[in-house]
Amino acid sequence: MPVFDALSCPSRPKIAYIIEPRFSGGTSAAVAAELRVAVEFGELEVHAVTSRTFGEDQYIAPVLRRVLDELRIPLIWDAPRVGADFVILHNPAFLKFQDVLNTRIFARDLIVVTHENFLRPGGEEGFDVSSCLNQIEASALSLRKSLAPISPYNRKTVTDWLAGSRVARQWEVLGADWFNICETEIEAPCDMPSDRRGRHSRPGFEKFPALADLDRCFPEHAQSNVILGADALLDARVLRPHWTLLPFNAIRVDEFFEMIDFFVYFTAPTWQESFGRVIAEALAAGKVVLTNADIGVTFGDAVLSCRPPDVDGIISDLIAQPHRYHEQVSRSQSALARYSAENFRAQLSNVLSADSGVSG
Amino acid sequence: MIFIEAGSRSLRSFDAQLIFAEQLAARGFPVCIDAEYLPEDAGRGRVYEAARFLVDPAEHEAEAIFVLGAEDIDDLLLASLREKQIGPDVPVIATGRFQTQQSYIGAKARLAYALGREATVIDLTDFQPRSVLPSAVSPLVAEIQPTPRPAREMPTVTVVLGSMELDNPETLSCFSRMSNRGGYNLRLVVSGAQNEAINASPFHDLPTNLYTDLSSLTLAKSTDILVMFGHGIAGVRIAAFAVELIAAGGVAIDCTDDEALVSSGAPVLLGPKTPFSLDGYLTGKILGNTSQIAEQARKSQWLHSVDISRLESAAGLTPKTREPVRSTHRTLFFPTNGVGLGHAQRSAVIANALPDDMSSIFAAFPSCVPLVRREGIDCIPLVSRIDMTDNPDGNDILTYRRLGAALQENDSLVFDGGHVFDSVYRVILERNLSAVWVRRGLWPDGRPRQKMLRREGVFDRVIVPSEAFEELNDAYSYGDHVHYVGPIFRKVVQSKDERDGLRARLAERFGREFKQLVVSMLGGGVASDRSAQLQAISGMLEDRTDCLHLVVTWPGSKVQPATFGWTNTRVVQTFEATSLCLAADLVISAAGYNSVLEILYHKIPAILIPQSAPYLDNQERRARALADRDLCAIITENDLMKLEQTVSACLDHDEVELYRSALNAIELPEAGASRAAEIIAEVRYEK
Repeated sequence: MPVFDALSCPSRPKIAYIIEPRFSGGTSAAVAAELRVAVEFGELEVHAVTSRTFGEDQYIAPVLRRVLDELRIPLIWDAPRVGADFVILHNPAFLKFQDVLNTRIFARDLIVVTHENFLRPGGEEGFDVSSCLNQIEASALSLRKSLAPISPYNRKTVTDWLAGSRVARQWEVLGADWFNICETEIEAPCDMPSDRRGRHSRPGFEKFPALADLDRCFPEHAQSNVILGADALLDARVLRPHWTLLPFNAIRVDEFFEMIDFFVYFTAPTWQESFGRVIAEALAAGKVVLTNADIGVTFGDAVLSCRPPDVDGIISDLIAQPHRYHEQVSRSQSALARYSAENFRAQLSNVLSADSGVSG
Repeated sequence: MIFIEAGSRSLRSFDAQLIFAEQLAARGFPVCIDAEYLPEDAGRGRVYEAARFLVDPAEHEAEAIFVLGAEDIDDLLLASLREKQIGPDVPVIATGRFQTQQSYIGAKARLAYALGREATVIDLTDFQPRSVLPSAVSPLVAEIQPTPRPAREMPTVTVVLGSMELDNPETLSCFSRMSNRGGYNLRLVVSGAQNEAINASPFHDLPTNLYTDLSSLTLAKSTDILVMFGHGIAGVRIAAFAVELIAAGGVAIDCTDDEALVSSGAPVLLGPKTPFSLDGYLTGKILGNTSQIAEQARKSQWLHSVDISRLESAAGLTPKTREPVRSTHRTLFFPTNGVGLGHAQRSAVIANALPDDMSSIFAAFPSCVPLVRREGIDCIPLVSRIDMTDNPDGNDILTYRRLGAALQENDSLVFDGGHVFDSVYRVILERNLSAVWVRRGLWPDGRPRQKMLRREGVFDRVIVPSEAFEELNDAYSYGDHVHYVGPIFRKVVQSKDERDGLRARLAERFGREFKQLVVSMLGGGVASDRSAQLQAISGMLEDRTDCLHLVVTWPGSKVQPATFGWTNTRVVQTFEATSLCLAADLVISAAGYNSVLEILYHKIPAILIPQSAPYLDNQERRARALADRDLCAIITENDLMKLEQTVSACLDHDEVELYRSALNAIELPEAGASRAAEIIAEVRYEK
């Protein structure tokens, strides 16, 4: 089909997603949930790019495959050209290990969803942002190019980075957060919480705080401490008799949540979740979440923002006053509504119906 | 303590850690490497090199951390950094050669995740735009010497063969000619395959080092002119050697096919591409001009790119003033432990003959320590070799560490032994010691002489204590550095009253009167089991009621339990064997160097039973030389049946008097301990 044929039907726009389908974590889950909504707005194409980040194979994250099968959308690998009214490219960081994006993009609107923080806490670059954006810029012909941050914290890293960059004038930043849809089933909290703590994440070093903080968060006197995704701790033989260390994917996430009442989640201070899907899952599972203040910015009062030394005090208070535990879970779960598919639908509608800025 | 870490674990990165650790240590910093980094296939040379740096990190607090090879960071490094729980004030400096900005950002991020704060990451592609070896994990830096290097009278030319093929027989012949000509010392640095080819050739006496025999720093310190052949640079150790040498004011000549050194911008000379023209090039253009060449090189801007102080500054390190721990010169004697304590005893005799202004100390294996200390000389105990299949060099590595700790630059080392251990070889070069090798002769037939002499070049002097008879003095090497001195042995003076007194004390001590005293000294136990012979002697003396038989050994020697089962035989462990021999009517002895000389010079009638273990000296030749002069009886392995007859002849038929009169008549060479001491004294100020 000629490229510009697709740009002429405003009532049923053509929407093309460009993704690296081999991301195993939040990016693929977010895209999967989003495709279910986006399909309602137009003719949907999904393009996969084999980037150097993941090598040559054509693996597809299971969560994505399920949705694509369900929607009967074929995944098109490495198309030389993608033309659509709206091209939505998810997570530009997949381009960080290469110099060129070999897919030409023709679009009225090109939206780049910034799943990864452009800057790390302290201001160091999270990845080679210039290179990734320049590759997209060099491959794309579009009326408008926008960056779509996924959370308040992520937005701050994007705008701070743009403020110091010469490529800032090429890119707009969308006003509303392109949040992850969180539609996990809501579970009721337990009746009587006990000091059963845990955390779950991928095993990377960025996901874990210093050992001293980990010891503070998961102390000997807790009834239980379950760490799922503890591969690095196991490899380095960092063992404590009062810790239950489980490798990533050793048990199902719902099984893990059954083992805890408090989700205590701190990361390396030099890294920050851009959205924190794992937090949303814990909230949906009816757990009280204790985490740092920057995550708190995304989830507001749905989480208890604190520092590792404060964890013990907060947990003992909530165990002593179960009604406060229930209040906190209730407050958290109502906040999850902000990340519903319905809200995303409304936001996507706004984006797709926005004036292109070009008079007819 | 400064920890030297590596982004990932491999032989390549371990080399980088060793090179940088040694450089910082030489600059006066306390440096260590987590022992977990030691690769299983490190090889002998690297293990020696690493021994001084390897630690259990839990036992040391980090003052600074360097991470080398940050372009390739694995989880082991991150786990190790995290586990160290490094304080916020401890600088962490990472170096890497980053091909892309993303690899730089990625490395920085991964380190930050493990540390919980940012590390200082130095991109060596900026720091050294034209690296000598762009693939090196090592930062390839060096200490820039502020003053010109003093020219040595006899410069050492080190030739790195690199990828050179040795299939042309003329190549080794050429090196052999160079090695034998005056004007410079030649040393070849070769691969394992090249070394095998050289050993299998007629030129096996060429002085060679494998790539891992010595550290880059030691190679640079002991080299004046470096010549590199082959294609490219033969690995990081050679690259570091070249950088060290140039920074230290040495001369580097690039003879590689691809001009690998020159193309890095290093201030080096472009030499001939073939070794056949090298000697002419060296003698015609280089020797005699080294100072001017080095002076020109010192002006090169390239030196700035390899200046180690730039990395130190990044870590906030200030070089310490490197004052020697001692202001006085020290002479350390290291006698090996052979079958008995002969090496230690000879060394003690020499040490006692040194001028009063020389301070000497010993490093000796446990069996020798009491002998040395009773001479009033301080002694550092070493650890004996034990049979450990997994680490046969373990005890020598400890020796290396102890020698290294006891000696500082320009001290003297006197080694008495046959096989020059790695510990001795390395410490001499690393500490730039004045070195003397006391090397007794009369090697057994079939011993690979070339192997024994391979490390002779590291010694400034070789002292050969002579045998008593000229026909026993074989020459194994030649040159002005080889000095033959008279026999060296311990002299004991015993008057008739003292002799009578000793015999009376023995009678009292063992509760029996005797007319005849027989002393058997057949040696220690490791060389060959002499228990059967001792049993035979004890048995044949058992019926002699007027005879006391003493089996005399060094303290600590193993004695078979059966020896204690005889009425007439007693075991005596003593350092005063000579006094007992002087008091004896007959001595039955092995024919070791010390025993024979003591028998000869103290004129003691004896039956010699030479030992014949393959790594001993040729005792039979020595014993035969005495027997041929009727100075003693000899019983060889083949005629042990004659032992009883010979003992009887000595004790019952006055044959000992025949020997005694021959001993009294024989003219013997002057003892050599004083001359040996003079040579050691001369050499101490030469470096």
